[in-house]
Amino acid sequence: MKNNIIILGGGQAGIYAAREIRQNDTESNIKILSEENLLPYERPPLSKDFLLDKKNEDDLYFHSIEVLKNENIDFENVLINKVDFEHKKLFSKNEDVYTYDSLLISTGSDNKRLSLDNNLNDDVYYLRNLEEAKIIKEKVSDKNKITIIGGGFIGLEIASSLSQLQKKVTVIEIGNQLMGRIIPKQIADLVQNTHIEQGNEIILNKQIDKIIKKNGIYEILLNDNSIIETDFVIAGIGSTPSVKLFENTNLKLDNGIVTNQFCETSIKDVYAAGDVCNFYHPFYERNMRLESYQHAQNHGICAGKNIAGVKTEYTSIPWMWSDQFNLNLQLTGICDDYDEIIARGNDINSGVIYFFLKNKIIKGACGLGIAGKVGRDIRITSKLTEKNTIVDKQILSDQNQKLNKLIQKQ
Amino acid sequence: MSEENWIEVGSTDSIEEEDLIRFDHQDKTFCVYRLTDGFYATDGICTHEAVHLEDGLVMDDEIECPMHQGIFNIKSGEALSPPACEDLKTYPVKVDNDKIFIKID
Repeated sequence: MKNNIIILGGGQAGIYAAREIRQNDTESNIKILSEENLLPYERPPLSKDFLLDKKNEDDLYFHSIEVLKNENIDFENVLINKVDFEHKKLFSKNEDVYTYDSLLISTGSDNKRLSLDNNLNDDVYYLRNLEEAKIIKEKVSDKNKITIIGGGFIGLEIASSLSQLQKKVTVIEIGNQLMGRIIPKQIADLVQNTHIEQGNEIILNKQIDKIIKKNGIYEILLNDNSIIETDFVIAGIGSTPSVKLFENTNLKLDNGIVTNQFCETSIKDVYAAGDVCNFYHPFYERNMRLESYQHAQNHGICAGKNIAGVKTEYTSIPWMWSDQFNLNLQLTGICDDYDEIIARGNDINSGVIYFFLKNKIIKGACGLGIAGKVGRDIRITSKLTEKNTIVDKQILSDQNQKLNKLIQKQ
Repeated sequence: MSEENWIEVGSTDSIEEEDLIRFDHQDKTFCVYRLTDGFYATDGICTHEAVHLEDGLVMDDEIECPMHQGIFNIKSGEALSPPACEDLKTYPVKVDNDKIFIKID
């Protein structure tokens, strides 16, 4: 049956959903509506290789326009500002009407913003999209001292890149460790050491009381009355799901759009995927919201299958990475509910991994190493985790024993 | 096919089944794999970002990049899963007297 399928949001989840629908359904119309006038592009390089000029804009696109044309996927740059779920219609700012049979919402997430009580809110820069990355790249070019508020993935990746551009970087983090929301302290401390060795200043346990501007220089006043002088301020303090459009509708929201394991929302024929979802994960038997490359891709693919009528549960074990300096950090599974930690390795040159176990069953791992050194073992851990494997701790802790053995034993 | 292009990598027992070794020759890096049905060779650096595939996971006929989980078919070099999108170059392999050789062009 030929349907009108609309994908609202032209990011990674949206494009992967579109192509997956097309693989399973050659008949239906598929249209991506995107706020950004850019084909779907990869975001991870924005804070790294794009700032460092190792990748340019053309390197970031997932697919060319020809690929979309060949697969008969329409892409339109439009700002939707009203939704009528009852009549299955979307309305643009210019009052164009888009009617759908099935709708996928993949609107992603927005930056949380600092709220300063003076008129300096526009003096703080954020990095989520290509436009923002371009602005930061251009603005920092003639600056020296850069302060980054927030010691999470994005802040630290920018800190790493700007340090490599010979900037003097200070990172201010409110928590008592870097990346405290998801990364175990043991690994966070190793990352912190590298930043300090490379010349970055890391300030923990401090809040911003005030930012003032004097003669073009910013003074950041911290809650211990210390003052950081800086030429430029960037904040990376987390994100919120992009759900503003749906706030006065009957779409169920709770820290994002609530979906089941099939990417279905509370409204029939309306699906959601990616950062915007608070989705039910059958393996963990609870809802969660994830912001990562792997999740955006796989969740988009899963939504695409379900929209095309191929009923598919979303069961991916979470996995994410961050690249800072020459280090590659990876996390798999959920590492906040454990009763035992096993360490493997103690040198980042060959990789350091902490495995998290509960009732002897492996639940996840977090590792850090020079590019790629922990990848294989982290990937194996994902596989062991999804099978609820009871692991031989001796093998886990001995870097001379390959973990492949643990998979093959099953 | 001239004989001088075949470069000796090592003995067949230097690679476990469903595993790989890295092989450096002149200024290039290769990966040589032992799969259930024989030996194969590809470039040793991921086409996505410059990372050594020697630290990747071999599963069936596939090698997964250790840094960002791009996946390639070892036999054809085809990029199967993003972020990898450019295929990996493959090389002919032969075994002679329990020694592995790859043909580098």
